[in-house]
Amino acid sequence: MGDLRARLKPLFRRSSTPSSPKSPKPSLAETPAGHPLGDGRNWSKTSLRLAKNRKPSTVLPVDEIKESPPQLPPLEHIETESLGREGSEHTPDTSIEAPQSPILEKGNPTLTVEEPTPKTEVEKEVVAIQDPGLLAEPDARNTIASQRPGIAHRRQSLAPSSQSSLINELLQSESPQLQSTTTDYFGEVLPRPKMPQHKKIWVKRPGSSATQVTIHEDDLVDDVRDMILKKYANSLGRNFDAPDVTLRIIYRHPSGRHSQTERTLGPEEPVSKVLEVHYPGGQSVEEALVIDVPQRRTPKHSPHLAMPYYLHDDLRPRENGTDYFPPMPVAGTHSPHLPSSISVSSAQGISHHPAHAMAVLTTGQLPNLPSPGARVARNSQHRPKYGRQHTSSPTILQGAANAQNHENLKYSNPAPMPTPPIPEESPSKAATPPIPRVSSPGPRPKAPNNKRSKKQVVQTSTDAASVRDGAVPPINVLIVEDNIINLRLLEAFMKRLKVRWSTAMNGKDAVTKWREGGFHLVLMDIQLPVMNGLDATKEIRRLERVNSIGVFSNSASTTPTFANGDEIDQVPEEEDSLMNTALFKSPVIIVALTASSLQSDRHEALAAGCNDFLTKPVNFEWLTRKVMEWGCMQALIDFDGWRKWKDFSSQSNQNNKPSTSTPLLGIKSPKSTSSSAVGGLPNANANNANTANNANGKVVPPGMGGGKKKKEEREGMHLGLVGKEKVVGVGVGGEEGLTGRERDGSDETTGTGTDTNGDSEGK
Amino acid sequence: MAARSENAESDGSPDLPDCGDAIDPTTFEQILEMDDDEEEREFSRSIVYGFFDQAEVTFTKMDAALDTSDLPTLSSLGHFLKGSSATLGLTKVKDSCEKIQHFGAMKDENGTHDVTDRQRCLQLIRDTLKKVKVEYKEAEKILKRFYHEPDMPQ
Repeated sequence: MGDLRARLKPLFRRSSTPSSPKSPKPSLAETPAGHPLGDGRNWSKTSLRLAKNRKPSTVLPVDEIKESPPQLPPLEHIETESLGREGSEHTPDTSIEAPQSPILEKGNPTLTVEEPTPKTEVEKEVVAIQDPGLLAEPDARNTIASQRPGIAHRRQSLAPSSQSSLINELLQSESPQLQSTTTDYFGEVLPRPKMPQHKKIWVKRPGSSATQVTIHEDDLVDDVRDMILKKYANSLGRNFDAPDVTLRIIYRHPSGRHSQTERTLGPEEPVSKVLEVHYPGGQSVEEALVIDVPQRRTPKHSPHLAMPYYLHDDLRPRENGTDYFPPMPVAGTHSPHLPSSISVSSAQGISHHPAHAMAVLTTGQLPNLPSPGARVARNSQHRPKYGRQHTSSPTILQGAANAQNHENLKYSNPAPMPTPPIPEESPSKAATPPIPRVSSPGPRPKAPNNKRSKKQVVQTSTDAASVRDGAVPPINVLIVEDNIINLRLLEAFMKRLKVRWSTAMNGKDAVTKWREGGFHLVLMDIQLPVMNGLDATKEIRRLERVNSIGVFSNSASTTPTFANGDEIDQVPEEEDSLMNTALFKSPVIIVALTASSLQSDRHEALAAGCNDFLTKPVNFEWLTRKVMEWGCMQALIDFDGWRKWKDFSSQSNQNNKPSTSTPLLGIKSPKSTSSSAVGGLPNANANNANTANNANGKVVPPGMGGGKKKKEEREGMHLGLVGKEKVVGVGVGGEEGLTGRERDGSDETTGTGTDTNGDSEGK
Repeated sequence: MAARSENAESDGSPDLPDCGDAIDPTTFEQILEMDDDEEEREFSRSIVYGFFDQAEVTFTKMDAALDTSDLPTLSSLGHFLKGSSATLGLTKVKDSCEKIQHFGAMKDENGTHDVTDRQRCLQLIRDTLKKVKVEYKEAEKILKRFYHEPDMPQ
């Protein structure tokens, strides 16, 4: 205390003493900035800095005291500034001091510079004594107060004396008004005839903070509604029309002559009149008109798919949730499908969050959800969220989820999709935090990474035989291959993967087999006798279309899959109709086996309706990936059916084992055994099995899907080959393998990346 | 095909040490991995010897088709053998077969440009067929040595 006072006293005394000799100097310093009164804030800052720099030279020579406070000279300048600014701009600081300075000024309107010196000294003393409890802050404030008179005069010295009265008037008349801005601003403004026609009224949505909309003097409530929709352009404007909006006025005195406490305004009422009547003296924030909108029950999410993210991004509470899905209805099972698909798809600007979006739009309440939008990555604050996403997204399924998501947006899939491999993968995923940080939100940088980690998983699991033990979905594959050598190898692969398979030696055979139903995946050689693979593919697609396979499973509406939708509704011809449509719940996935090196052949295959392709000679790792990918996708689409099917098949698998491991020679179809086993099930189960069987395809539009898939495929191809080539070194091998692949890109050997290839090509 | 089990005796199969550029080891090892028993190598052996049979038959057919100047058949035979040779990793054979396929389709050896001269196509196929037979023999020798075929001179 005493210490403070002791420190303050010399401080003030010192500051006052130099003030008189120094006073001309500040005015000098002001001259560069002193020219305008209006150059407000920026200027004061620069002058402050200027003063600080200048201080040692000006003040120190004068002072003998070591601990010369650095604030003093700058503070003077701040004061001068703030006062000089007062005519044009009002800050809270100035409005506080405003009532004080005029008083002083009144006492000495045209005083000379020297005069205030003694006075301020007295004042300082008083303040210091009065307010010893306040520490450094009062120190500054006191000096401000103490300096003020001198400054006021200095300012006056800048302004002509004729203006000083004007300034006084301004200061006196405006400051009270400004202080009470929130309460009776309108009360003040309304009666003034000279004020412009525009004025502002407070409105708010229930439970949220009020905002102002600009209206005209003679606007009706109807016009206000328009303004409100403009103001709430996102939350209301996109969803509601002006007539939907109603405004409620809440009475200030509910107990008075009004029996009710509130009233809904009619569209024809003049707003300003109503407000005047109900809120004499002006409308306060608390008296904001309440905006009501009808609750919409039926969400139509397609038009709003992309949009809610803007909303989320801007308005959602940051860093709030620890849980990823706080308000989500607990759907029994944890659903990794959602985050995974979002993290991928939202990067493409597609949202899969209709529920949240509508929650915002209809209730006006922001959900606690962090938006999984990919743009999040831009904001450093959002980083943790992003990391969480990655942790919870199953790597293996991302490719599939991705495909499903952007290719079949409308397919509503309420089934939860737990995925076995998630737990193991999350560490590897979490171990890559720099990705969201570094990369832009675009899908591109993420894709290779996904591939890589996917690759790792595949590799480790392949070696660990876990793939064979159940990670590969138990799908049913139709192998169409005319060359017995290739066929036998593919059969061996299938056997190794523990999936069921059937074979066909030509295209016609393939179509016939397919018509029996129950296939998820067709490995289709392109060049086949009797009917080639492309024709067989086209025929299968045609039959699917004619029989409405894959369309009816979408209860919502027609998929974009079939451009010529009219064909869908046709009753299939007798010869085209499939025997058991229950076995065809979705289009089958057709993976073309192209031995051809020509890109055009691949395009042709995709155009014919293949979803994907593999280049011969088929690589086992790669085939495994395909089976995983497509099989997992089917599992995603219809998990329940798949699970039941899987449970059953694990049982029946043991029974069937002897039969499936029959000699490899010959074109035996183990499918007959297992399908008969399925037939032995109760109906419900059989249906589920079929659902599972056929679930895979619904996502993929024959031409488009394949096209999109293609690029991925080629990347996958590289990595798969690398995996084969260098079973251990994944990361390093990646580059080599890739270049090797690029080099061999034109060759049918599919670039196993060996010297053999290069040499033979050289010939 | 699998009847040639008399050669089963082996003392740890050499992993194609000197196959040179005739066989792509990566592709071939993939087949070897399918073997349940590394001593017997029943599966890969059946595949390989199945391919030998297939190749012999195909070459015969090709010769016949050349005699009748049947280009489409030559093309499809080329494609056929291309598929299996690629599966086994017999890169050279596969490349030659692809050329035959293209020539048979009246294309140049890359399959990108049309060749109008029939006789030229036939001649090219004739040359390539000779070449591919040599390449095949080379690969066969290596493979048979790998499977310890006794009647093949080391």
